[in-house]
Amino acid sequence: MLPLLADAATAVDPAAVTILADSGDSGVAGLMFPFIAGPAVFAAVYGGIYRYYRNTDKRHHFEKETEVAVGNLRTGDRRRGSNNRQSSRTMSGANQDNHLERVRRIAVR
Amino acid sequence: MLPPPPGRRPQAAPGSQEARRADPIPSGAQSTGQREVPQWAGDQYRSGGAHAERSGTPYGQRRPAGPAHGQQRPVGPQAGGAPHGAPGQGGPSGQGGAPEGRAATMLPEQSLGEAAQKALRNAGNRIVDTSSGKTDGLDKCPRCGSTDIHYSITAKALVCGYCRNQWNEDVAEQAFGLDSAIEELRGHTMASGTGDIREDLTTVTLKCQGCGAEVVIRVDEQLQKRCHWCRQTLSINTQIPNGAVPDAVLPFQLTREQAIDRINEFVGSRRAFAHARFKSEFVPDNVMGVYIPYMVVDGNLHAVMRGTGEVTTRQYTVRRKVGDNYVSETYYDADVYDVRRAFDLLVDDLTVESSRRYDARDNTRSTNNILNAVQPYDTAAAVAYNSNYLRGFTSERRDLNIRDVDDSVEEKFLSIARAKARPTISRYDRGVRWEHEGVAVHGTRWVAVYVPVWLYSYADSAKGEGSLVHYIAVNGRNGNTMGSVPVSHPKIFALSCALGSMATAIAAAIGWGWFFLG
Repeated sequence: MLPLLADAATAVDPAAVTILADSGDSGVAGLMFPFIAGPAVFAAVYGGIYRYYRNTDKRHHFEKETEVAVGNLRTGDRRRGSNNRQSSRTMSGANQDNHLERVRRIAVR
Repeated sequence: MLPPPPGRRPQAAPGSQEARRADPIPSGAQSTGQREVPQWAGDQYRSGGAHAERSGTPYGQRRPAGPAHGQQRPVGPQAGGAPHGAPGQGGPSGQGGAPEGRAATMLPEQSLGEAAQKALRNAGNRIVDTSSGKTDGLDKCPRCGSTDIHYSITAKALVCGYCRNQWNEDVAEQAFGLDSAIEELRGHTMASGTGDIREDLTTVTLKCQGCGAEVVIRVDEQLQKRCHWCRQTLSINTQIPNGAVPDAVLPFQLTREQAIDRINEFVGSRRAFAHARFKSEFVPDNVMGVYIPYMVVDGNLHAVMRGTGEVTTRQYTVRRKVGDNYVSETYYDADVYDVRRAFDLLVDDLTVESSRRYDARDNTRSTNNILNAVQPYDTAAAVAYNSNYLRGFTSERRDLNIRDVDDSVEEKFLSIARAKARPTISRYDRGVRWEHEGVAVHGTRWVAVYVPVWLYSYADSAKGEGSLVHYIAVNGRNGNTMGSVPVSHPKIFALSCALGSMATAIAAAIGWGWFFLG
């Protein structure tokens, strides 16, 4: 059952944890806790078992497993400004790990 | 769109190796399709031109020296109007002079006129002949000449049924010169097995070289047949344009028994919540050895990506009063950067499905992602096609042309570029938002390969036609196993409810205790 536990751990709604952790109103958090934990565990167990059996998320990670040689790297980073007083640890719309997500195509010569 | 697909089949000079290769039907054989062979060749040539008009230039704006869609390899000076590949028009050497060797048989540029050579340099599209050169429908044992040959997984070789001789075909990459440096690829190099498919070619008539009988083979279902008079095995040993004959075959290395063990092990750990009907109907002995068609693509690319990245410069906590309570909130200050990455990529043996039935992007009728997930295959070890490797197994016919998969390949190139850029942006701890991306394809190389899969398929018998087909697949080379097991939703629901209720009770004890006692 170890894979299930791993799935369950990752499937818990991170937003819920953030609310609990960040909120200073501990009383409200305490009242809400069972109503969040119960459905979260339900969803994690259901989704974890389903994925373990059906493997709907499995695929060949060609972008990492294909043999590729990289060379002639050129970088061009330039500071544009600042973005202060952000409440999130990560920037909005970050997609550096979503390799399959396509963005606007440009012509390359 | 990626490379220049159709219409790329060259119209070669009569007598050249290209002309011989272009003949899709062996000597002593004739197509029983609606069109005759020379017409097919001409039609395909013309259809390519039509496609070029429709689809425009693949990477046309991005590839400076790349070929445009539909650009042809130049026509030989003496080729005009001649139905290439037509029997009896083989020029000085004729078909009888077909080479037996497996050297890379690209048309030498020296054999062309000056104008044609210039066109060739500009076109950049090349076809590498990977056909066997045999024209008699006979795949014989090199020692005794028998045609009773099968592939033995335990011996990992073709075995003659008469003299027990064992051998393998040459490794395709080396035999056909497909292992040249990727950085030297310019334009598009396509092995002849990737040629466009002709859907109406369903039967081929082979003339038995033993007794002279004519044997009809339904090439959409089989590639071998015994002569009904002399029992000699006749094989489709030349490339026919129906997608059934690839450039190379990756033979099975995992035995059927090993595959059954892996499938049993896979299902054994997934029995508790499996659908009851699946458990009662599960018979792993029904596993089948299947050759699935893939396109194997090499690419010489240049990728460019632009986006925005952020670096944390300060992290601080603000404590403020809300009502009677104090709330702590953490904030982050960040510097914002324009991020740009450009680099060259040499992609080696990227695989893409070339059969609609097993297209990993379509899981509506069957769990095709399972087949995709048992990769990778060591396609560099694929051997030159010999129909005897397929004997005793089933094989899926390729039904996608290069132009059908080139969009998918281009996206895969971009995904690879994104993955390779990842280590170069580690300083942006708040992440990078890529906003623009592009790739210039300097050169590609396409090879059609059959890869081996042990496949167990299950469709719920109670749901009848249209039921989702669940696959459990075992990579026939390295044993990678993946599968989809139908689940019992009531069982999962019951367990989830039970655990959810327990979690609620525990959370209530903790949370409410904190609220009332804290």
